[in-house]
Amino acid sequence: METSVLCRLNRTARTYADKVMFKDNDRALTFAEFDAYTRSIGTYLSGKVPAGSPVIVMSGRHTLTPACFLGVVRAGCFYAPMDGDMPVTRLNQIIGVIKSQFMLVDRAHLATAETLDFDGEIIVMEDILDTPADEKLLSARESTLVCTSPLYVIFTSGSTGVPKGVITSHQSLMCYIDSVCKVLDINDTDIMGNQSPLDYIAAVRDIYFPISRGASTFIIPKNEFAVPAMLFDTLNREKITALCWSVAGVELPAKLGAFDMSKPEYLKKLCFSGSVMPCKYLKIWQENLPDVLYVNQYGPTEATASCTYYVVNEKVDDDTVLPIGKPYDNYRILLLNEDNTATENGAVGEICVSGPVLALGYYGNKEVTEKSFIQNPLNPNYRELIYKTGDLGSFNADGILEFHGRKDRQIKHLGHRIELGEIEETAKKLSGVTDCCSLYNKPKEQLYLFYTGDATSKEIVLYFRQNMPAFMVPRKLINLEQLPTLPNGKTDMQTLKTYFK
Amino acid sequence: MEELMEILEELRPDVDFENETALITDGILDSFDIVALVGELNDAFDIEIKPNNLVPDNFNSAKAMLELIEELQDE
Repeated sequence: METSVLCRLNRTARTYADKVMFKDNDRALTFAEFDAYTRSIGTYLSGKVPAGSPVIVMSGRHTLTPACFLGVVRAGCFYAPMDGDMPVTRLNQIIGVIKSQFMLVDRAHLATAETLDFDGEIIVMEDILDTPADEKLLSARESTLVCTSPLYVIFTSGSTGVPKGVITSHQSLMCYIDSVCKVLDINDTDIMGNQSPLDYIAAVRDIYFPISRGASTFIIPKNEFAVPAMLFDTLNREKITALCWSVAGVELPAKLGAFDMSKPEYLKKLCFSGSVMPCKYLKIWQENLPDVLYVNQYGPTEATASCTYYVVNEKVDDDTVLPIGKPYDNYRILLLNEDNTATENGAVGEICVSGPVLALGYYGNKEVTEKSFIQNPLNPNYRELIYKTGDLGSFNADGILEFHGRKDRQIKHLGHRIELGEIEETAKKLSGVTDCCSLYNKPKEQLYLFYTGDATSKEIVLYFRQNMPAFMVPRKLINLEQLPTLPNGKTDMQTLKTYFK
Repeated sequence: MEELMEILEELRPDVDFENETALITDGILDSFDIVALVGELNDAFDIEIKPNNLVPDNFNSAKAMLELIEELQDE
């Protein structure tokens, strides 16, 4: 059994030495070059950082970013990725949770790094790439890793206003990668087109398919998604065969009419996840690319990005609702009622997951970890943790899982997971906002903020732009004399929804 | 121009649309801004922006957008 992802990298780096592993618009790294970078970075860090420590990697969309991730792992440590283009407030929140003593940063984000509330050491990645590898030291560090060691900490929206760091182990990541590779039949002939930000959970496939299976990944520049013709030209120029994109990313070319001009000629596999796929857009893909394998994936970061998958064999219509399917290998699904009993006869219940894919918890947050990861209430006999997703589901007559939305106020917007409570906590930090309520108009994909107080909508949007990731900025702001309330004093959200246009 | 500026201001009050000339090339407007913008412009000016209009040259500045709108209105 493999002890860490390094077993995989050691193997593929030998087998595919001269093959391109990661590529962006500026450079291509072969497996051998990538591996050499990870050894240099790993050696440098081993001289400074104790094994088992968190190391922040603040970077952009380029090939050095995954090399740094794996360089951190070679030092026996785990990485906390941050997108250097996020607002400083957000970056500081992450730093406050992870409390790392070391940060690897690309030169482009060095100036930003120096303004952060970070008192540890900042290391510029470009400066340490030619550190001579100390194989003895690296091998000692590699032997400190066991399959349950943390691999990375990825941050996601938290309802109290502070992001939560989900810790994933080597074992969980490898279980998921092997399961999804089996479904998508990923092999060394595949070329992935990366859409997800590299600090985001959806990017683990684009990073670990090359490491595990010898595939290649092209990192698509972000602004090409705004220009559909350019996007499909890139997919064809790079001969991209497989895409693992957010639903929002898959919708974009269909919405902007990209298929009227060209189509991705080499594409064989398309896996989408992150929110419910509106089938009017999937239909456009299917009509233009009937032979592609389409897979609908469902699952939260806390279960290594996934739970279940559904291979779309039927031709969809505008109003088709896709099931979320059946569990991947090494995932076990159960549905629980509010009173922690099992649902019966196809009734709706909360989707819960168990298996080696469960996260190690939320970094430095015992309280929330213990609330979300609990002993399986159906198992009185031995220790078995489950993660309660907060999502609702039911099994149909064929035992296929169907999705029924959330039991709380978490939403999916533009492919990202957002707690509406976090939007409200952020708005309340402005002195001109007395009270507020955030709601999501799903059909129009617009984030609303209803508020009382004398702040102008421009002031509020500017504040969000400066402090929060772009996908968390409300698009519609409505100033009210007071928020409508229910007899019990809580905000009347149904009345507020009548403002949706 | 006034109506266009109002739409742009509401979409992204943090951007200086008077002076920016590389809105797409520099990644100031992202893909989700473009989707929202195309919908609003189509409605407000009764035009139909087509995929081949979606090139950086047509959206890099407010002036370029106005030219595109006028061109499409003439059709």
